[in-house]
Amino acid sequence: MTLRPGSLTFLIIVISAFGQAGVSYAQSAPTPKQVYVYVDSVMAADTNEGTDPRLGGMDKRLRGLFGFSTYSLVGHNEGQTDCGKMIAFTLPGGKILHVQPRAIDADMIAMEIVLFDGTRPMMTTDLKLKNNGTLIVGGPRYEQGMMIISIGASTGGPAPMQAQSTPDEATTR
Amino acid sequence: MAECSEISMMLGAFEDSELEPNEMQEVAFHLARCESCTGILADYSTLGRNLRSFAPEPSLAGFSSAVVARVDRLPQPVLTRIERFLRRQLDSVGSGIAWGGAAAVAAIVTIILMTPLARQFATRGTQPAAIASSVSNAAVAPAQVASATAGEPTMADNDSHADISRLESENHSVAVWSEPRRDTTVIWLPDQP
Repeated sequence: MTLRPGSLTFLIIVISAFGQAGVSYAQSAPTPKQVYVYVDSVMAADTNEGTDPRLGGMDKRLRGLFGFSTYSLVGHNEGQTDCGKMIAFTLPGGKILHVQPRAIDADMIAMEIVLFDGTRPMMTTDLKLKNNGTLIVGGPRYEQGMMIISIGASTGGPAPMQAQSTPDEATTR
Repeated sequence: MAECSEISMMLGAFEDSELEPNEMQEVAFHLARCESCTGILADYSTLGRNLRSFAPEPSLAGFSSAVVARVDRLPQPVLTRIERFLRRQLDSVGSGIAWGGAAAVAAIVTIILMTPLARQFATRGTQPAAIASSVSNAAVAPAQVASATAGEPTMADNDSHADISRLESENHSVAVWSEPRRDTTVIWLPDQP
């Protein structure tokens, strides 16, 4: 493949434009390293008690995904951690959630999530979640219904849509 | 509760899931409460990832060009050689035009999307809208708050699609599904009977 002198000049100009734009973009938008994690624990049941008003905007999503008649917020946790550092949440029903952000790639947050039932690991997953996105883990039995855990992650700024409740403590390790 | 000295001996095997179920439980239980051991486990995890990343991959650099060169050295009929010569000439002219076109498109996209000037324009365009919406919210009468809340962005408005690369569970009935309309991924782990 050969390049004509005219094309080569044009290519050099374009590369310069790219470089300058890239440098200015990099300077103005530093890569975030901290990840904010938000966990809402919801009890879902068929007891016709409606939706807990503290669930706020989560109501629509839960009703769209599942067919339960009762959704009650039983816990809300949030915390922030650095990439590579695990954060642990103690959830209702003896569940423990470990979240370890691994990397931030453009608009995606790579992370490992481990859900323990007491001391028994129930589920381990590696995934990439969109910034400000939410993953829902559900199914374990809880009181008269089932537990639905909504896990959201954000690289900063306002929290993704979450329940309106006082956050519980989280520990980072 | 087991001592850190006992647990630390099992952390490597725990990371590789090589412990007996009762030992896994014991370590997990300890980790949920011990920062120091969790830190050590994180180090094992990082070390393991780094070691895996060093695994050599055979290089295929130059393989295709070597094959093409070998094929080129095979004896060809005169007509084929003439045809190849003409095609190469045409390719060189065409590639110049293609490079120029691609570079122009790239430059335009760069200017539109990445320059600070363009982003200033984008921000300038959105700010008035944000102010306008907050003003209109403030003007909502208390009696209308409930209906205004229903119009707020919900979780369904967020793009929360997840890309799952690994999922392990003792539960054999794990279900994973996505709800494209709501950009939601759900992992369902029903309790075993």
